[in-house]
Amino acid sequence: MIGTSRRVLAAWAVVVVVLAVVPLVAPRDDLLNLLFQVFLYVTLAASWNVLGGFAGQVNLGHAAFFGMGALVARIAWLGGWPLPLAFVAGAAAGVAIALVIGLPTFRLRGVYFSVGTLAVAEMLRITVTNTQPNISALPTSQLIGYALQPRYYVALVVAVCCVAVTYVLAHSRLGLGMVAVREDEDAAQATGVDALRHKIAALVISAFFAGLAGATFAYHDVSYYLYRPFSPLWTFDPLLAVFIGGVGTVVGPVIGAFFYVLVSELLAQQLVELHLIVFGVLFILVVLLLPGGLVEAWHRAQRLLSRPPAAVRYQPSGPGPTKR
Amino acid sequence: MTVTPESFAQSLVFGLLVGALYGLAAAGLSLVFGVMKVLNVAHGDLLMLGGYGSFWLFTLYGVDPFVSLLIIGPALFVIGLALELALFRPLTRFDEETKIKNSLLIGFGLALVLENLAIRLWTADERGITTAYAGTVARLGAINLPLDRLGNLAVALAVIVGLHLFLTRTYLGKGIRATAEDWQAATLVGINVRRTYLIAFALGTALAGVAGTLVTVGFAVSPTIGLDWTLKALIVVVLAGLGSVFGTFVGGLLLGLGESLVTLIPNGGSYRELVGLVLFVVVLLVRPQGLFGRSR
Amino acid sequence: MLECRDLDVSYGDLQALWGVSLDVEAGEIVAMIGPNGAGKTTIMRTLAGLLTPTRGAISLEGRRVEREPGHRRVELGMALVPEGRRLFGTMTVLENLELGAYPGRARAERRGALEWVYGIFPILAERRRQLAGTLSGGQQQMVAIGRALMSRPRLLLLDEPSLGLAPVVVEAIFEVIRQINAEGVTVLLVEQNARAALRLATRGYVIENGRVVRHDRADTLLHDPNVREAYLGAVVGTAGTAVPPTVGEAPPPSPNNEGELAEPADGPPPLLGGEGGTT
Repeated sequence: MIGTSRRVLAAWAVVVVVLAVVPLVAPRDDLLNLLFQVFLYVTLAASWNVLGGFAGQVNLGHAAFFGMGALVARIAWLGGWPLPLAFVAGAAAGVAIALVIGLPTFRLRGVYFSVGTLAVAEMLRITVTNTQPNISALPTSQLIGYALQPRYYVALVVAVCCVAVTYVLAHSRLGLGMVAVREDEDAAQATGVDALRHKIAALVISAFFAGLAGATFAYHDVSYYLYRPFSPLWTFDPLLAVFIGGVGTVVGPVIGAFFYVLVSELLAQQLVELHLIVFGVLFILVVLLLPGGLVEAWHRAQRLLSRPPAAVRYQPSGPGPTKR
Repeated sequence: MTVTPESFAQSLVFGLLVGALYGLAAAGLSLVFGVMKVLNVAHGDLLMLGGYGSFWLFTLYGVDPFVSLLIIGPALFVIGLALELALFRPLTRFDEETKIKNSLLIGFGLALVLENLAIRLWTADERGITTAYAGTVARLGAINLPLDRLGNLAVALAVIVGLHLFLTRTYLGKGIRATAEDWQAATLVGINVRRTYLIAFALGTALAGVAGTLVTVGFAVSPTIGLDWTLKALIVVVLAGLGSVFGTFVGGLLLGLGESLVTLIPNGGSYRELVGLVLFVVVLLVRPQGLFGRSR
Repeated sequence: MLECRDLDVSYGDLQALWGVSLDVEAGEIVAMIGPNGAGKTTIMRTLAGLLTPTRGAISLEGRRVEREPGHRRVELGMALVPEGRRLFGTMTVLENLELGAYPGRARAERRGALEWVYGIFPILAERRRQLAGTLSGGQQQMVAIGRALMSRPRLLLLDEPSLGLAPVVVEAIFEVIRQINAEGVTVLLVEQNARAALRLATRGYVIENGRVVRHDRADTLLHDPNVREAYLGAVVGTAGTAVPPTVGEAPPPSPNNEGELAEPADGPPPLLGGEGGTT
């Protein structure tokens, strides 16, 4: 994907502008909350995608970064810190816990890494559940002035920044290195790509934004159990969104998050667990048949519609060493 | 809570009873993982299916849970056949690393579907089987041994021994072990590796179903136990290492004992779940082949 | 017995064999020699079904088998003793042998086959309860060959049977191969030890860079000056030095002779000035 066309970038810009304008045009709480959810999931999905999609390290402990971000940000904010500082603290907490989790588990490969991250995230969740069993409720002072709009914009900005970073990353040497590690870690290492460094870079970026997402959550939710953001659901739902949208791409997590939240909302009206069954089936289908998710489906549809007749398509010239 | 010798012993026995179930649950996962190198994260949900099967057989038709095993085992075996053919066999066209990663994801999708299907069909309520003899308690000194829990232990032991004999005394069983050790060499001696994978997976699923029945008798079944049991089974598999059925069983017992011991510590009860997780991570980092596995 | 025509085999994008054709007549011993990484093991693995050719055909006793799965080829009468032996180390000698008779028909006749194998390798009868992984190299090679024989193959493929073994043991193994062949088993042999292989064989093929560059009667190849210079008596890796051949000497075992990739031959240049085509 060399040089994204101006048209695509313009399309993105339009989308962002439209979203930015929504609270001014249609300030309905349910709509704003719904879109807030979308933005939160976009950040979670896109951040997971950096480690899981670009670098290929399936991390099942993403909720730990989110949870720590929420925990630290909430405590800081309610403890009197200015909001931006609380957000920074949240992001930092996410990164810190990621390094604590990541550095030992990166020694493990493949499925052992994945279950290792899950195990450590669960350990964290259990510990937090036991040490912080309480509900965190906004004090009256905050409740009086509670407005949805600033939350909306914060979530939007965080999501846009996250996606922007993934875009830049995808076109950078660092990103290329991550992909090399994903494709074949040993080969990458042998050709001079420091696999560990790239994995850690992916981890840090991933955790940073997950932490920010956590802080966003802490800013938005009026009252919740402090251990709730550590639930593995906060890993698995974005995971679903990423794969359905298109893992490893920039736009995939975004599409996936929109799809996931909107379809969930739709189906939840009807039958409660149906949306998860649907997503589960979709997920399986994606893994088996359409690894590129909706993005790949879109590209295939495009090619099908604009394909020249078979006779015109390029044929490689005869036998001989098959090199690309 | 003061710990008396009696409560200590009772706790240990309880730990062993639970551990036996952990070991049985792990045996199925270990088989699949060892042979196919695939981690089926839906293993716990298959266990859950078996549990529900027994529950409904008991509730609707009065079938004793231990008798229902004769139905649940084969039924889950068939389900395993279907799942392997539909979901995991298509993965063989990928290379090793992609295959393993995708099988993790597929298992996750399957777990999601099974769990939520269960919620839809049977609600999220917990179900348990209380047989007529559940109240009868055998006594060993001051220790209480409820009959149904003893039944669980007996069945778990029998199944483990049966599995061991199958793998060490029959051609098919040895073929499975050979495939687990070196699938290419297995092909070279005429073993149909694809069929071996199919059988191993189906067998693992059947074992999960049997474990599920025992879990429903001893504890309870609900749609959400899947992930918990997958994790428990996985912890035991990593703790014990691959390659030995008895080793896996002992690993399960150790985990059960460990958890029980933790609950004896003041305020330890809520950290019970941590035991397995900590053991898991430590073993992975320090001795990845597990306690009884061969070091590669 | 065996016919290969125009085999092309690739590892992913990397082509390893180009248009390989070879024949093995019933009752023969045919040897394949050539430098490290030339593709000999690739040919064996393709014959056994571990690799699928992208082009070409393989016929076993007139029957096309290139699309048959590996385990079926064992049932059809072809067995490979793989490079590096690949025993089931956690199982006993007896169990390894018995697994060699896994396919249905072979399994039914396994007692007879076992007698036969014990007759060829008496030491295996002695050590049948020993774990295969604890045997010496030579004994493991015996188990590997015995295991392949258990399915009563009509065609036996051997990939580097002498690898890593002491010269005395190598002689014994080769004697066994001769004996098996005398009993009616056709043999296709890949060997680093070109001298011993060509002395044993009826015909030989020289494989270089994934191609068959030469095939002839074994004694012709044995006395051919180019072949002598390239493969007989020269230590692997030193191009062109004609060291006087010493009888029965195996070249030093080369590390990891997997033959996975068709690496450029760092040994002698192609005998017939082939098209090059180094990867």
